[in-house]
Amino acid sequence: MSDVLLEVQDLTVHFPVYGGLMLRRTGEVRAVDGVSLTLHRGETLGLVGESGCGKTTVGRAIINILRAMSYGVEITGRVLYHHESGVIDLASLNRTAMRPYRADIQMVFQDPYSSLNPRKTVGQIVEEPLTIHTRATPAERRERVRWLLEKVGLSSHQVDRYPHEFSGGQRQRIGIARALATNPKIVIADEPVSALDVSVQAQVINLLQDLQQELGLSYVFISHDLSVVRHISDRIAVMYFGKIVEMGQADQIYANPQHAYSKTLLAAAPRPDPSSARARRLSSGGKR
Amino acid sequence: MSAPVSLVRRRMGKFRRLRRGYYSFLLITGGYLLSFFLPLLANNVPLAVKYRGEYFFPLLTYHAAPEFGQNAFGDPEYRSLKQQFANAGEGNWVLMPIIPYGPNESLLDVPGTPPHAPSATHLFGTDDRGRDVLVRLAYGFNVSMTFSILVMIAGYATGISVGAALGYFGGRLDILGQRGIEIWSSLPFLYTIIIISSVIVPVYLPGRNLLLQPSLWLLVVILAAFDWMGITYYIRGEFYREKAKDYVGAAIATGVSEAGIMFRHILPNALTPVVSFAPFTIVANIGSLVALDFLGFGLPAPTPSWGELIGQGMENLTKWWLVFYPLGVMFLTLLLVVFIGEAVREAFDPKEYSRLR
Repeated sequence: MSDVLLEVQDLTVHFPVYGGLMLRRTGEVRAVDGVSLTLHRGETLGLVGESGCGKTTVGRAIINILRAMSYGVEITGRVLYHHESGVIDLASLNRTAMRPYRADIQMVFQDPYSSLNPRKTVGQIVEEPLTIHTRATPAERRERVRWLLEKVGLSSHQVDRYPHEFSGGQRQRIGIARALATNPKIVIADEPVSALDVSVQAQVINLLQDLQQELGLSYVFISHDLSVVRHISDRIAVMYFGKIVEMGQADQIYANPQHAYSKTLLAAAPRPDPSSARARRLSSGGKR
Repeated sequence: MSAPVSLVRRRMGKFRRLRRGYYSFLLITGGYLLSFFLPLLANNVPLAVKYRGEYFFPLLTYHAAPEFGQNAFGDPEYRSLKQQFANAGEGNWVLMPIIPYGPNESLLDVPGTPPHAPSATHLFGTDDRGRDVLVRLAYGFNVSMTFSILVMIAGYATGISVGAALGYFGGRLDILGQRGIEIWSSLPFLYTIIIISSVIVPVYLPGRNLLLQPSLWLLVVILAAFDWMGITYYIRGEFYREKAKDYVGAAIATGVSEAGIMFRHILPNALTPVVSFAPFTIVANIGSLVALDFLGFGLPAPTPSWGELIGQGMENLTKWWLVFYPLGVMFLTLLLVVFIGEAVREAFDPKEYSRLR
C-alpha cells in the first residue's frame, strides 16, 4: 500500500504573457510554484483549493499536455513515474517519448460538454486510445468498447450515438470509459463532478470508487468541493496560489487543519446543518 | 431516443427542407454532371454510323472522309453524309447527337454572314465565327464549373492548411504568418494575373472536343495562388478556439499525433466556414474566369468560354443574342449558386428560426 507510484518534485509551471507587435515577453503567470506530491499505489490523493490556484495545471503537468496545449509555457521540476522498468521523469519527455506512458496515466476532464469531440460517436471516442496503444483487431476493440461502456453504467448499444445525445452525467461516464480504455494505473480526475447536478455527482463518485476497487486504480482527485474530496480521498493536499500549503491524511486535515488557509477553506464549505456554529466562528479567521 | 443523428445529417436535413436552395443545388449538380456527357448531346460527330453493313463509332475512333465515300480530305462532313445516306436509301445511316453542331465548329454553310440571328436550327444564333452559341454556352458551363471547383479545391487546401497551422501552433509563427498573408493579400490580384498570363503563352494542343486545355490547369494554379487567403482567417480562428477545448487535451493525453489532432479532431469541428463559403467562392471564381476571358487573358482561344462570348457581344452590341444569352446564362448560374449558398448558410445557422422556407 505504501509503495510510491508517482512523485512530483518541485514542479513549477509559468505561463508567459506576451505583448507588443513582435510578441515580446512582458511577464508571466506563475500557475504552479514549487509543488511536490506523492501518490501511492491504490490510493486517492485529493487536491483541493479555490479556483485559479493551479490545481488543474498540476494535473495537466502530470499527464504532460501543457507544452502541446499552450505556446511558450515553462515547466521545471520533475514528475517521476515509478514504472516497472524504472523511474521515469515524465516532465522531461517530448511527445514521442511520452507516448508509451500515456496508456498508464489518463485524465477525466472537468467539463463533460467540451471534453468529448462532438463530431465523433461514443464508440469512436472510447476506441481511439485502444487504436493507439494496443494491437487489438477492430473486432476486439469493439468488444472492449462495449465492455467499457457497460462498466461505466451505459448501455453497449449506445456506441453509435453522438455526445450531444447524452446528459451531463452520461457524458462524464463516457469520459471515464475513455480514460479507462487502456487499463491505466493512474487517473487524474480533474473536477469530474463539478459540472454535474448533486444527485448525479454521487453516482459518478460511487462509480469512480467502484472502479478503483475493481481495477486497482490510483486517483489524483482535483476538486474545490471539500465534501466530495473528503468522501473519496485517503490523503489530501491543500493548494493556495500555486503552492501546497498543507498535506496529510484526509481525516486529520478535516479534524485539525494547521495552515490558516486550510482553516478558511474548510470554514467556507457550506454545511447541511445551518445550526452548526463552527463555520461562523472560523470564517472570521484568515481571510486574505 | 431515435436513431443516432450526427450534426452533419441534421444540417443536411435542414438544407433539404430549404427548398429554393435544395432545388438550385439539384439543378446545378444535375446540369454539371450532364455537361460531362455533352459530346454525346451536342456535337458534329455522330454517335454511330452504318456504312456498307458495318458499324462505326466516330466518337471513339477517328475516321477520315474517304472512308465513308466522301470526296474530301480530313474530317468527314457528317451532317451532309446523313443527308446523302438518307437520299440514297441503301440502308446506310448516320446517328447524330440531338444538337448536331460542335462547340468549335464554324458553320459556314448557313446563308448570310456570321453572326447569324437565332433561328429554328440555331436557337441562340451563332457567334462572329459562325459557331453555335447554345452549344458553346453549354460547353462553357462545364468549363466554368470545372474551373471554379478546381480553384476552390486548390485554394481551400492551401488556406485550410495554413490557417490550421497558424491557429494550432500559435505564437510567433502565427504573428509572422498573418503579416505575410496580409502582404500577399494586398497584391492587386486581377492585374497580377493579367501580367502572369500575358507572360506565359498558352499552349494549344490540337485535338477535337478537348475540354481541358493544359493552360486551364495553369490558370487554376495562378488563380488559386491569389484566392486562398480569405479562408485562412476563419480556419485560424476556429482552430484557436477549438484547441483550448478539453477534447483536444484528451486527444493529446491519449497520444494522438499532431497531424491527427489537427485534421481528424479539430478540422471536422472547424469546417462550418468552409462549407458556408464554398458556394460563394464558386460564384467568385466563375466571375474571375469570365472577367479574364472577357479581357482575353483567360483560357486559350478555341475553348468555349462565357467571357469570350460576352466580349463578342460587347463588340457587336446590335447582335442582341451575343449579349443577352451569355449574360443570361451566367446570371442564372450565379443566381442558382447563390441560392445554394444562402441555404447552406441557413442550414448551418445554430438558431432554429428560418427566413427561407
